Amino acid sequence: MIQLIVFLFIGAVLFASLLLLARRSSRPEGGAETLIAARQALKQLQTSLLPPEMVDRLMAVEDFEFVAFAAPGPVNRVFRRQRKRIVLTWIHQVQHQIKSLRRFHLGAARFYARLSFRSEVSLAIDFASLLIACRALRVLVWIGGPLAAPRMAGATAAAALRICEVSEHALAFLNAPNPPLERTLAS
Amino acid sequence: MMMKGPTTARRMDVQQAAGDLRNRTLSGLQRPLDRLIYLASTRDYNTGLYHHDGLAARYTPTVACEALADCHREVFQELLGCSVKELVAQVEGYMHSTGIEAAHFLTSWKRLEPYRIAVPVEIEPLAVEFLVCNLRTALAILEARLNRTPAAPAA
Repeated sequence: MIQLIVFLFIGAVLFASLLLLARRSSRPEGGAETLIAARQALKQLQTSLLPPEMVDRLMAVEDFEFVAFAAPGPVNRVFRRQRKRIVLTWIHQVQHQIKSLRRFHLGAARFYARLSFRSEVSLAIDFASLLIACRALRVLVWIGGPLAAPRMAGATAAAALRICEVSEHALAFLNAPNPPLERTLAS
Repeated sequence: MMMKGPTTARRMDVQQAAGDLRNRTLSGLQRPLDRLIYLASTRDYNTGLYHHDGLAARYTPTVACEALADCHREVFQELLGCSVKELVAQVEGYMHSTGIEAAHFLTSWKRLEPYRIAVPVEIEPLAVEFLVCNLRTALAILEARLNRTPAAPAA
């Protein structure tokens, strides 16, 4: 009886693994969707999320000091709460876009960018450490507030920018020789 | 000789038009907040397109529209880089320039949040939320200051 249960259990595990594999392989590696997502992620990271002035402003000590001095009490509390939420959203978005770039590197980069094995390993380590740093930063900000780890935030942003540079290089083949104007209004 | 493509030529026109706009019109508005409100007011809410008769006559309506949109995004980024202290000064300056009573102005801005519709398109929601949070705080600080100031005795 016990043997039967064990066999049934192993069978269930194998079936679940097969299902999982089938689901994963149905997503085409290096497909257009991955490329578009990677391109958008890169653009969002480079133009909106990671510019140093944006990162500095998000965690500017002078803002917190000024508000605490100018309007102590409820205004200051609301400001701190809102800024904390914004910083947490910022970390979440950086994490999300980095994951999107990682997906691209896992699949599409194999086909389009000729990365050496060494570069791929180094990039994989960079991705892993950056995602761990993002998680740690989220916990720190959640516990200690938006000013909990400004240095770590700066270092995370710098690491993310380095990954963006590599990704930009890998995505360079998508750039048209004469890029069209990116206008949604005029078109 | 290399020929310039129509896209490059138009981009150059847009840059020139944006330069004109900065030098002639926007230079008269010292505060970025004033510039943001002015540029937002040149946008048609129904179409999202910007209109400026002078620029359109000098260039083309499309070039004028793109130049205004460029300047609008530029000013938004400038405001995004301002500290809360700077924003308080800007809102205060704008409030005085309207000639409206401070209490009335602050109440209206807190309720209606007119700055929300002054945001350019294609701006990340996070950036919008950040600026809105800072502007709300600036309004709350001005309101707190107003409440601390004793009312002037009636004549």
